[in-house]
Amino acid sequence: MMDALLAQLPVALGMGIIGAVVFSAIGLISGSDETTTIAPLTLLVVLIGVPPAGVYTFFLAGAVSKHMTHAVPTALLGIPGDTMATPMMREANYLRQLGVPHIALRKMISGGVIAALIAVPVTVVFALLLAPFGGFVQHTAPYLFLIAALAIAYFSPGRWAAVLALGPFVLIIVALQNLTAAHGVKLGVSYFLGIAIGPLISDLFLVLSPAERARRKRDRPARFSLAPDVKRWSGYFPNPLKVLDSRQTSWTIGTAVASSLTFVFSPVAMTVIMGEVVSSRIRHVYHRLTTTLAVRNGVTESTYIAEALIPLMAFGLPLSPVAAGPAAPLFNAPPRFTVDSASGQVNNLHNLLGTWEFLVYGLLAVVLALLIAYPFSMNYARRAASFVSRNISHEAIIGTFVGLILVIGLWEGGLLGLLVVVTVGLVGGFLSRLLGFNIGVQFMGFYIAVLTVPALTALL
Amino acid sequence: MRNDRLLEVWNDTVDGHHLIGSLIIGGAVSLGAFQAAEWLLGMFIDDPRMARTYAMLFGIIGCVVGGAICAYLFRPKREVVEDTVDTENLQGVLAALYADYGSRGGVEDLPEAVRSELRELELEEAFLVYERDHAQGDAVALAEHDLGRAGREGVKS
Repeated sequence: MMDALLAQLPVALGMGIIGAVVFSAIGLISGSDETTTIAPLTLLVVLIGVPPAGVYTFFLAGAVSKHMTHAVPTALLGIPGDTMATPMMREANYLRQLGVPHIALRKMISGGVIAALIAVPVTVVFALLLAPFGGFVQHTAPYLFLIAALAIAYFSPGRWAAVLALGPFVLIIVALQNLTAAHGVKLGVSYFLGIAIGPLISDLFLVLSPAERARRKRDRPARFSLAPDVKRWSGYFPNPLKVLDSRQTSWTIGTAVASSLTFVFSPVAMTVIMGEVVSSRIRHVYHRLTTTLAVRNGVTESTYIAEALIPLMAFGLPLSPVAAGPAAPLFNAPPRFTVDSASGQVNNLHNLLGTWEFLVYGLLAVVLALLIAYPFSMNYARRAASFVSRNISHEAIIGTFVGLILVIGLWEGGLLGLLVVVTVGLVGGFLSRLLGFNIGVQFMGFYIAVLTVPALTALL
Repeated sequence: MRNDRLLEVWNDTVDGHHLIGSLIIGGAVSLGAFQAAEWLLGMFIDDPRMARTYAMLFGIIGCVVGGAICAYLFRPKREVVEDTVDTENLQGVLAALYADYGSRGGVEDLPEAVRSELRELELEEAFLVYERDHAQGDAVALAEHDLGRAGREGVKS
């Protein structure tokens, strides 16, 4: 066992460092949603043939780093760093106005550090407890996905509208799949990318329409105030246990454990709920702001780790919103990793890594992320936020993502692939905006189309 | 900076013409990199599937290069002001904060660690002043009074 671990150690280490560096930088750019960035880069790493341990550390170190540096624009500029950062905007804004945005930043990042370290072992233990049910889960996966999708839809902002909209949405995906199959094209990532980047695609269509464009006219640039940062410790590597007080540390640990166990729910919803649970138990308003921030950012780390790892270790099936979205290439990246919908057979990291490897490389990935993202965001937050907001225009970010749509769409399915990305993005973007049929529900809709629908039609 | 081409797209402000320019540059550079890499790599790598996968890597690098060119050509449409803390309005912010969250107990009841954190941030005095001025009953009334102004500035998201 030790030999196997050591043999893959160099590649695990190297890929973890690459993941941490790349996603520390991406986290600084607001609007860089997790799925649009983590999923395609992880897919690339899988397909160029990086060994399993390297794929795993790349993904995990990347996700953990991104959820640390995303606190920088959130705290200092008042712009959410990504989707997971939105539940922290309210508290972060109040601390900004009190003139102490660096406190918001440090509480968030320190909460993330502690939660990420706790989440890996908790997740591995929980996955081991669930593993005996793996056979049953793989067998009944098509129906479990249906139940999970209905639950996730009901708890989305759209409530019943989202539940009912699942029908037409799944129908569109099934129809698109049959269309592309008729031309010998089988698509996967194109759907994920379309869903994840839908809000941008629908916005680009909207500004092409004259009536809507008139409504979106602005007479002045958006104004951001960049808050000052004050360094209050000596040295390079601040101790997170000194940044948080003892109550904050224990709440962060408690919610990290709790949110690791609720791995089938939406990570944003868990972040909101855990924050509320803790907030209502803190008496003084200032203490409440800082504790809520530490806990919420901790939960962004722990839910991401648990939602990716538990389904991967225990079942090999993407049975959670994170597993179905940003972590999808760990489960399904044909031809290398596959999930067979008919037999429930899986061939992915589930089979390729053992329990000890999940634990040891998982901790390695988290430690690498901590060594890179944590001191970076603690020491250079203000300069990084200032650089990004003054030098990287929104047009450039949009240009980058439109390039990504073109490359991934054409790579996977030629012109047909590109059309599928645009179609899914346009429909999904509007459904999300108008009905609250959000991205997590759309990912589950995709899995109903590829897993549940074939199983049901086979019964007929 | 006066500009009548400004639009709000994907939660930030862009210039319509610059947006079109970015779409063209972003698309052309990334696609160009992808297609050129596929053609070139196809000559060296036997497995066309692997050649295509590596071409995707170059395509993604092309996306970043395209973005960098756009960032160089088109400046951000953001006004970034260096924040100086407006301490005069601190009491207004506190009013909005207390109205929004409510507070049980005052600064005196805080654990010493939290209290000294507030003291280091030079906020302890402001909280004490607010709590003294708005002891219980009239806290609500004043919060409502100030909420209009401070509240709007308070929660932008």
